[in-house]
Amino acid sequence: MSGSQVPVDALQRALAAEHAAIWVYGLVAAFVSNALDSQLDEAATAHQARRDATERVLIDAGAPPVPPEPGYLTPEPVTDAASALRLAITAETDAAAAWRSVIERSPADPGLRGAALEALTGTAVRATRWRATAGATPLTVPFPGAP
Amino acid sequence: MLALQQTGVLARWPTVSGVGPHRRRVLTAGATLLLAGPAALTGCTLSAHAPEGPDPLEFPARRAEADAALATTVARAHSALAAAAGALAADRMTHATTLRAELRRARPGSTSRSASPSAVPPPVAAPPANSDLAGARSALTQAMHAAQDEAAGLVMTLPGYRAALLASVAACCASHAALLS
Repeated sequence: MSGSQVPVDALQRALAAEHAAIWVYGLVAAFVSNALDSQLDEAATAHQARRDATERVLIDAGAPPVPPEPGYLTPEPVTDAASALRLAITAETDAAAAWRSVIERSPADPGLRGAALEALTGTAVRATRWRATAGATPLTVPFPGAP
Repeated sequence: MLALQQTGVLARWPTVSGVGPHRRRVLTAGATLLLAGPAALTGCTLSAHAPEGPDPLEFPARRAEADAALATTVARAHSALAAAAGALAADRMTHATTLRAELRRARPGSTSRSASPSAVPPPVAAPPANSDLAGARSALTQAMHAAQDEAAGLVMTLPGYRAALLASVAACCASHAALLS
């Protein structure tokens, strides 16, 4: 078993998705109700923790972690709470796909797969909550992160 | 849904493989497989197509079918839960269909579903017919936690594609549990 194989490319994509999500939550906070502040803080904190942990794994593997982009193009202009929540869902969906890919490419290693599963689960639960907040349907997808 | 597009071009980082062997991780993974082995072999019915006992996906497939049946019952009995339970039933049926497809792909011609019905106990019990709303909600929540835990355990040991599949199942069940809470 190749337990020492760290899927560097997949982890870099996951890190890039975490950078993007952190940027997104900074933007979203400006457009949604203050009543969602604690949920937004919780989401941003989760992505920051995931970013930090992923950077450590990459450094341990001898790979320089990808830096955040100076800016990101959003799929649609963010002008109000509804478009801001759609962007949050997009960020979580992108992160879900990246973390599922880490699981698929990792050796059967509870350390890395466990962390990636936790990340995937977190993105799915947050995306579900944002869909509920936005009144979007369906609230769930059967295979979060699936291509 | 469109993915976020980055304005810059991501630098291409070199692929680093085999750097810094994590012996402890290798050993941990091996130990997990050893622990999972006997459980996976319990009550196995050997056949030409199943030399190592039931396919480990048989368990989550049956659980998904049972959860779908439970949620369908709840949706009919409690209008207040109809939307949540109906969506849960639909997702769990999709899980069952996809897991069954993977089971057939892995072992063409296998009759594992009917060969050893007693090998895998029904993973969840149907709620009492007179179950109240709180009881029905609790039964669904417990079913989702159990399904999430089962799938999460398999994620650690199965090959890549199957691990990814069950990771999505676990994440979906966690989402339903969050909605029910």
